[in-house]
Amino acid sequence: MRLQFIVCDMLMLPVEHLAAESPHELVLTDLSASLHVEPVPLRDRIQEEVDRIEAEDPEADAILLGYGLCGGATAGLVSRSKPLVLPRAHDCVTIFLGSRERYQREQEQTPGTYWFTEDNVKRGNAFMGSLLGSSERADGVKATYEEYVEKYGQENADYLMEALGEWQQHYERGAFLETGLAADSVALERAREETGQRGWRFETVLSDLTLIKRLLDGEWDAEFLVVQPGETLVMSYDDDIIKVVPAASGDAK
Amino acid sequence: MADFERLQAAVEAGDREAAVEITQTAIDEGLDPHAILEPMTEAMGVVGDRFSRQEIFVPEMLISARAMKGAVALLEPLLIGAGHKPDKVAVLGTVRGDLHDIGKNLVAMMLKGANFKIIDLGTNTSADDFLAAAREHGADLIGCSALLTTTMGNMREVIAAVAEADDMPDLRVIIGGAPVTLEFATEIGADGWAPDAASAVHVATAVVQRARGERRLEGVIHPEALAVSA
Repeated sequence: MRLQFIVCDMLMLPVEHLAAESPHELVLTDLSASLHVEPVPLRDRIQEEVDRIEAEDPEADAILLGYGLCGGATAGLVSRSKPLVLPRAHDCVTIFLGSRERYQREQEQTPGTYWFTEDNVKRGNAFMGSLLGSSERADGVKATYEEYVEKYGQENADYLMEALGEWQQHYERGAFLETGLAADSVALERAREETGQRGWRFETVLSDLTLIKRLLDGEWDAEFLVVQPGETLVMSYDDDIIKVVPAASGDAK
Repeated sequence: MADFERLQAAVEAGDREAAVEITQTAIDEGLDPHAILEPMTEAMGVVGDRFSRQEIFVPEMLISARAMKGAVALLEPLLIGAGHKPDKVAVLGTVRGDLHDIGKNLVAMMLKGANFKIIDLGTNTSADDFLAAAREHGADLIGCSALLTTTMGNMREVIAAVAEADDMPDLRVIIGGAPVTLEFATEIGADGWAPDAASAVHVATAVVQRARGERRLEGVIHPEALAVSA
């Protein structure tokens, strides 16, 4: 098959390795993980790429998405002429862990977990959207604080940094998703440092890349959702996570 | 001379120092504490509307709420002395498994301004804890928040527990949080849903009014439904 793949760059390391092993022809378009901060613009962006591929690549058999529900970002995506395929996942942590069930167990056991990947650390996207960056983005944090001082005065700025950063006190673990694909990872050490600075305990958690492999190999079983032309992806509010419904008549061709 | 226009402006701008100063002046002048509260409540209404329209965002809401909170702290003893009492009680919390609470904290601040007594259970709150607190404090309302698609499903447990609580037939549930949609609220049978802390005040008030038989509204109460019925 000829498969187009729109992928969040959180997944780049395992995707690059596994793409090479896929029996299919793959064309990759990567989007920044920083888009995850706002689900609606992210959805628009992904839909833009889907529309572009549908217009430009009639030979493509399907469009793979390296995304899960992602805070609702993929809900509302429409397929017009090419099937869209993605894993049934709340987000990429499921994709790294290899199953919905494993993610659920992790969440029940340790809800206060901050997940690190090789790519989100390397590309400076760790702690994006938390309004307080990591020390590796110390400039970013400082910039935010200085912006607040300028706009609202120092007292308010101090208060905002405290209020917006308070979530960190509820977390207890920094978990690095280890793929075994990056030896002597600098990102891992950075993640360990970031975790230590926040007083969390650090763990490496071994990934199981089966979902990425099966996505790229075209083995789309019950762990995946296929959105056929004329369908829209929506939240299912149950263990299936996502499902399809007919697209509104204005959306479908 | 206490200037109520400046007081309103101070809260709108998140200027706690000015809000406190003007409030103290007003108190020293012997002005009625309700009259002093009025421009601040007005200010939060203005700020809330701007927030709902996404003209301002979380930081501005937080600092305005903080400015009002600082000034109200001075008024509190006088208000209590004048017999001012919250007439509604809400138990708020982020659901089991979810550790994020900025939105919930904003709702707490806004509801206090709307004469709610707030019991804030914090994050990672089980259905049992919601119910126990509702029982203990004679709550009218439980407010559940979730930031994650992975935890929002836990709101079902709270609604189920409330349905089973025969001793609290008037207890109601409103829900909110970034991934929480009106569709989800309808599916799980919540009494109200709001997309942000500002509209949460209108929804929470309407839900309690309906429970008390003071207002007639069908289905899940949400901002658009209120706009139509108003």
